[in-house]
Amino acid sequence: MTIQVLDVCKRFGTYDALSGVNLEIKPGELVALLGPSGSGKTTLLRVIAGLEKPDSGRILFNDEDTTETRVQEREVGFVFQHYALFRHMSIFENVAFGLRVRPRALRPSEKEINRRVHDLLKLVQIDWLSDRYPHQLSGGQRQRIALARALAIEPKVLLLDEPFGALDAKVRKELRRWLRRLHDEINLTSVFVTHDQEEALEVADRVVVVNNGKIEQVGTPDEVYDHPATPFVYQFLGNVNLFEGRVHNGVADVGGGRILTPEHHGVADTAATAYVRPHDIDIASAAGSDMVEATLNHATRIGSVVRLELSRKDNGALVEVELSRERFEHLNVIAGNLVYFKPRRARVFLAANQDSSAA
Amino acid sequence: MTTGIFTRPHSVLPGFNMALGFTIFYLSLIVLIPLSAAFIKTFTLTWEAFWTTVTAPRVLASYWLTLRTSLLAALINAVFGLLVAWVLVRYKFPGKRVIDALVDLPFALPTAVAGIALTAVYATNGWLGKPLAEMGVKVAFTPLGILVALTFIGLPFVVRTVQPVLEDLEKEMEEAAQSLGASQWQTFQRVIFPTVLPAVVTGFTLAFARALGEYGSVIFIAGNMPMVSEITPLIIITKLEQYDYAGATAVAVVMLVASFLLLLAINTLQWWSRKQRAQESV
Amino acid sequence: MAGVLASPNLPLHPPVRKSAPGRRAIPWVPIVLITIALLYLALFLFVPLAAVFYEALRKGATVYWAAISEPDAISAIKLTFIAALIAVPLNLVFGVAAAWAIAKFDFRGKSLLITLIDLPFSVSPVISGLIYVLIFGLQGWLGPWLSEHDVKIIFAVPGIVLATIFVTFPFVARELIPLMQAQGREEEEAAAVLGASGWQTLWYVTLPNVKWGLLYGVILCNARAMGEFGAVSVVSGHIRGETNTLPLHVEILYNEYQFAAAFACASLLALLAVITLVIKTVVEIRYEQREKEFRT
Repeated sequence: MTIQVLDVCKRFGTYDALSGVNLEIKPGELVALLGPSGSGKTTLLRVIAGLEKPDSGRILFNDEDTTETRVQEREVGFVFQHYALFRHMSIFENVAFGLRVRPRALRPSEKEINRRVHDLLKLVQIDWLSDRYPHQLSGGQRQRIALARALAIEPKVLLLDEPFGALDAKVRKELRRWLRRLHDEINLTSVFVTHDQEEALEVADRVVVVNNGKIEQVGTPDEVYDHPATPFVYQFLGNVNLFEGRVHNGVADVGGGRILTPEHHGVADTAATAYVRPHDIDIASAAGSDMVEATLNHATRIGSVVRLELSRKDNGALVEVELSRERFEHLNVIAGNLVYFKPRRARVFLAANQDSSAA
Repeated sequence: MTTGIFTRPHSVLPGFNMALGFTIFYLSLIVLIPLSAAFIKTFTLTWEAFWTTVTAPRVLASYWLTLRTSLLAALINAVFGLLVAWVLVRYKFPGKRVIDALVDLPFALPTAVAGIALTAVYATNGWLGKPLAEMGVKVAFTPLGILVALTFIGLPFVVRTVQPVLEDLEKEMEEAAQSLGASQWQTFQRVIFPTVLPAVVTGFTLAFARALGEYGSVIFIAGNMPMVSEITPLIIITKLEQYDYAGATAVAVVMLVASFLLLLAINTLQWWSRKQRAQESV
Repeated sequence: MAGVLASPNLPLHPPVRKSAPGRRAIPWVPIVLITIALLYLALFLFVPLAAVFYEALRKGATVYWAAISEPDAISAIKLTFIAALIAVPLNLVFGVAAAWAIAKFDFRGKSLLITLIDLPFSVSPVISGLIYVLIFGLQGWLGPWLSEHDVKIIFAVPGIVLATIFVTFPFVARELIPLMQAQGREEEEAAAVLGASGWQTLWYVTLPNVKWGLLYGVILCNARAMGEFGAVSVVSGHIRGETNTLPLHVEILYNEYQFAAAFACASLLALLAVITLVIKTVVEIRYEQREKEFRT
């Protein structure tokens, strides 16, 4: 099912949660709404579900205006961040609920309900717990039940609000992959909200980066990571080093090094900042052309990579560099030594752009 | 979009209009309209007539009696209620569960039953009245009897408001104080007491408010002698029996205004107390 | 080992309080406090309660039985039950409606509404009765109309029922409102998304979650309804056998110096109070158990 969000605005008191949001979600997609706390991503999800009414704008399901449709009638499946399982009902009863409350005419027979619930529980691999109660289950199990319950009503779209937020790291990783596999199996249009960029990049078909009630960028995980549209997107999706400098006719001069920036070839002498990922920096123990001199402050081993903190000789600014262990050993330096670095790849934003990035 | 005089509620759950509508309807029918009858009736009196009625010497004496006995009873309950709450929360002893349940007896027992029971016990030939009379203390049919009855009626209030606060008190706070060298008394005085004080004050106010309007448990043990041991509710009843509706209502209005002011004070105190507990649970 | 002892970085122990007794000493403070507390409770609670049953049974079982099976007593008991049977369900429905509106929605004037609901608590029982006399009494607003149509409210059963409804008005609501507020709206929202109507949500999701609080409120409401004295005293006509509830009957017997009979009837009410406390304790225990389960 296609979902269209047209110019949606939502305000809570004096606080603008959503300002003129436009988005289209294609059928069968798994879309991530990614952003920091307070960015409006959960509000957007709830507006699509019908749990909040927008102050202005429209929501279309398959080109039909559903803005005024009640949540009970929207046929959406919603998975809450804290599951919202019915605590006094068994797992079976929880999953069967959506089918039991249907009006007589549309309600399936008891036998049919039984079959469907067990099929769903098998799908989420919890069939053996159907007689237990929510408080007897682990967080990961509760999450899967919440999912099964949402799927029981055969929704047209599945909406998940920070589905793995309340779980510990290992369970989160497992469930993440499991969700992706599940989606590939049932191919239901799905939207999930997360503040974890790793999760969004790993699971989603497309990522929507949200900040301060507005959409910063929409694209595939590769697109948003490699070609971020704004400084905010760049900073949110990973660690970043900032190099202040100036751009003139397609070349950025960022204090000791020069970077080619063909996308700014028509620009005349403007202030700019280069955004460079720690792993996109070349580093050597001997000086070279276009390389910047710096002192190594310390090197920390983290798993399979080594993180270096450097202080630039010219202005003392700190630079973070990430290397594989092998390369670091090859480099053969210790704290206090002089080193030389050069960005291999950078994204340069002109001063005007930077005003739109949020701290 | 607005629905009538209410702004749209921030929730998609159904049934708001019906629930709120019924609530307001029932509230008005049973509570608001009857209460307003008292005020409206009073307006039929001229100001002088009203003033003379509510400041008659006998009535004034009853205000003073009601006020001071209620205040004193609430104070006694504040002190001992804190003690009882402390004992129930922090110590273990046989029969604790039963005693804890019995604290609610004044809530569950009809006031008339309490009245005759207290009279029987504290009369000069009663179980407790006899030894007290031998010491020269007469309880029944005196203001002291009123005090006893009002203490009974307000007993659970302080205990029940203080108990949850004591239960939520973090052991670590006390342990920190002790590790810093504070004695048991110092820990109580400087750490524990300030925390439970709002609850004690709330309980005190609740007990006081309840005592002000109490009737059933008092009229048996009081002497009901005008100017000496006659409480204000009794004056209202006396006027009613004499068909002096206007007079009865005038006095009632004075009591109503006092109780509304107290209700306001209680709600503010409870709000303050809740705020303080929320801050402390951070 | 020697190296460690010689290290200058060993911490000094804080000075030991000489006055702190060992753990074997008798805990004076708790014992004294418990004794005082029990004495206070005995003076004001236990002794009066025991006195009711003692005085009731003092003249023997025959007198006791005669007192409570006498026709006026029976009709007083009946009237007490009728008043409670009408007041409690009505206030129960009100309590659920009010708690639903207040806990599951946001609207202006919510705290005012809550304060208004608490009003009957702060009104003296005598005044609670008086205001109904002002409306339905012979000289009241509806007085003339009622006597025209030969409908008796004051000095008759309907008046008693009304006064009882008034004094027990807030009980159920007061229990449910904070409870439902604390439970939040997520389960109800989940039910809505799954397609449940308002009634289905209320019945299948909300009420089961508050059933202990509901029971608690009903028990307290009932105890007060059956035991109310002041308000009912004003609106009843004290007509023996017709407009006397059990508490009023107790008063009449007492004023006629029929002490044994008065206490006999009072003991029934005291028994009711004790049963109320027992049920209340059971409910509390079950509720605590349930909460402990859910916290794991």
